Amino acid sequence: MEELIHLVLVFVAILIAFTVVMTMFAYTTLTERRVLGFIQGRLGPNRVGPQGLLQPVADLIKLVCKEDIIPDKSTRFVYFLAPVIVTTTALMSVIVYPFGPEIHLPIIGTIQLVIARFDVALLYVLGVTSVGVYGIALAGWSSNNKYSLMGGLRSSAQMISYELALGLALIGVILQSGTLDLYRIVEQQSGHLGVTGWNVIWVQPLGFLIYLIAAIAETNRVPFDLPEAETELVAGFHTEYSAMKFGLFFVAEYLNMFTVSMLATTLFLGGWNGPFVHQLPWLGVFYFLGKVILFLLLYIWLRGTLPRFRFDQLMALGWKYLMPAAIFNIVLTATLQWLPVFDYVSKFLKTSAGFWG
Amino acid sequence: MMSLLFILFAGMAVGCAISMVAQRNPLYSAISLIGVFISLACLYVTLAAPFIAAVQVIVYAGAIMVLVVFVIMLLNVEAEERPMRLRSLIPIAVGLAAILFAEAIFIIFFVQASPSTPTDNISNVGLTSSIGAGLFTSYLLPFEITSVLLLMAIVGAMSLARRGGLVPPGAGIVPGDQVFSKELLDRRDIGDLSAVATHSTAEAARLLGVTRETETSNED
Repeated sequence: MEELIHLVLVFVAILIAFTVVMTMFAYTTLTERRVLGFIQGRLGPNRVGPQGLLQPVADLIKLVCKEDIIPDKSTRFVYFLAPVIVTTTALMSVIVYPFGPEIHLPIIGTIQLVIARFDVALLYVLGVTSVGVYGIALAGWSSNNKYSLMGGLRSSAQMISYELALGLALIGVILQSGTLDLYRIVEQQSGHLGVTGWNVIWVQPLGFLIYLIAAIAETNRVPFDLPEAETELVAGFHTEYSAMKFGLFFVAEYLNMFTVSMLATTLFLGGWNGPFVHQLPWLGVFYFLGKVILFLLLYIWLRGTLPRFRFDQLMALGWKYLMPAAIFNIVLTATLQWLPVFDYVSKFLKTSAGFWG
Repeated sequence: MMSLLFILFAGMAVGCAISMVAQRNPLYSAISLIGVFISLACLYVTLAAPFIAAVQVIVYAGAIMVLVVFVIMLLNVEAEERPMRLRSLIPIAVGLAAILFAEAIFIIFFVQASPSTPTDNISNVGLTSSIGAGLFTSYLLPFEITSVLLLMAIVGAMSLARRGGLVPPGAGIVPGDQVFSKELLDRRDIGDLSAVATHSTAEAARLLGVTRETETSNED
C-alpha cells in the first residue's frame, strides 16, 4: 500500500515536472528571441500577445499544422526513431535534480522535492546524455542527404569529445563531496546565508569554468554550433526534418540546455540553497529555478555576442585544452583537499549550521 | 514486483537480441544491440548493482556502440541478401540448436541451485563507494594493468591509422597552410624537398607552375 502511494506520488511529480519544463521551454524560446533582439538593437516578436507572450502558442500551432515532408529514400524506421531518442533522453535527466529541500505537506507527510533519489544519480545523467548522441548521428544518416550526414557526424563527434571534458570536470565535485547522489551534494552546499557553501566559490572555480565550456559545446550552442550553422550545412542533421519532427529536435536542443543548466546549478551553484531556505522551504524551488534561468540567459547572451568556432578549432579546444585542464583540476582538487588550510576554510564556508542558511 | 520487472527487462533483452541476429540491415542490428545493452543495464539495477548499470550505459551503449554505428554509416554497409549457397548447412544448424536447447533444459531442471536468499537491497557490494574502495586498495594491480592495456589499444589504433608511414619532419599541417608531398612536386623538378609549406594559394600555384600571365586581381 505504501508502495502504491509512493508510485502515485512519483507519477504526479513527473507530471508536474514535465509541465514545468515544457512551459519553461516554450517561454525560453520567446525569451531568446526577445533578448537576442535587444542585443542586436531591435525588438523581438512582440505582436502576438501582450509583449509577445502568446508567441510560443503560435509557434506550436504552426509546427503542428505544417506539412510533414519525408524524403523518399530515407530509412523510414530510423528517420522516425531519431527525434524520439533525442527528446526522450533530454527529458529523462530531469528526474534526478533536487528542486527543493524537504517540505511538509498536509496529508502525505514529509517529502523531498526530487522525483527519484538514488545512489548513482550523476552517472545516470552522464549515461543519458551519452545515449542522446545516437539521435543526432542517426538523424543525419537516415535523411539520405550528404550534408545532413556530415552535419550529424560532426555534431556527434563534437558531443562525444566534450562529454569527456564534462565528465572529468565533474570529478572535482565528486572528490569534494564524496558522493554521487545529487541530493546530498546539494545538502552539503548550504553555508552561511545559504550562499557561502556553493561549490563555485572556494572549492571548484576552475571546474565550473571547464564544465560551462564543455556544457555549451555539448548542447551545440553558439559558439560551438558549426554543425547546425545555416551558412555551412543548411541546417545540419535536421535539414530534412519538417513540422513536428523538427519541433522535437528543437525541443530536445532546449531541453538539453535545461539539463546542463540544472546540473550546473545543482553541482556548482548550490541547487536550492539560498538565504532563509531552511525557514521557508518553498523558497528553495524559486532559488533553483532562478539560478537555472540565469544560466539560460547566459546561453542567450553568448549566442548574441560570440562568433562561432571552426570545426578543427572546436575539436582542438576539446581535446588539447579542456581535457588537460580538467585533469589538472582533478589533481589540484585532490592535492588541496590534503592541505589543512584549504580544508579549514572550506569547512568554515560550507558549514551546514550556518546562520540564516 | 521484482519478478514482473525481471520478466519485462529480460523479455526486452531477448527480443532485441533476436532482432539483432535476424535483421538484414546492419544498422538495425546495431540499434538492437544498443537495446540489449540498455535492457541489461536495467537488469543490473534490479540486481542491486547501480554502478555497473550506469557504467554499462556510459561505456558500452554510449561509447563503443557509437563507434560501431559510425563505422556502419561511414562505410555504407548494405543490407545483405540471404545467400542461397548455404542452404545445405541448415540441417547442421538445426542439430546444433537442438543440442543447445537440450543443455539449457538440463541446466534449468537438473542442476541444484545454491540455497541463496533473494538479493536484498541493503547489501553494499554494488554501491560505488564499495567498488571504489576495493578497486584502489586490494585490486590496484589489475586496475593499473587495465589502464596500460587501454593505452596499448590507443597507441595501436593511432599507429594503424597513419597512412603510408610517418609525416615528414619538415611538414606543417596547419589550417591555412598547404603541404605538398615530394611525389606531387617531383615532376616540376624543384629539387629534393620532403615537404613544402606554402602560405597562400598564389604561392602554391606559382610553385606548381600554374599561374597565368594575365591574371587579374579582384581587390582594386
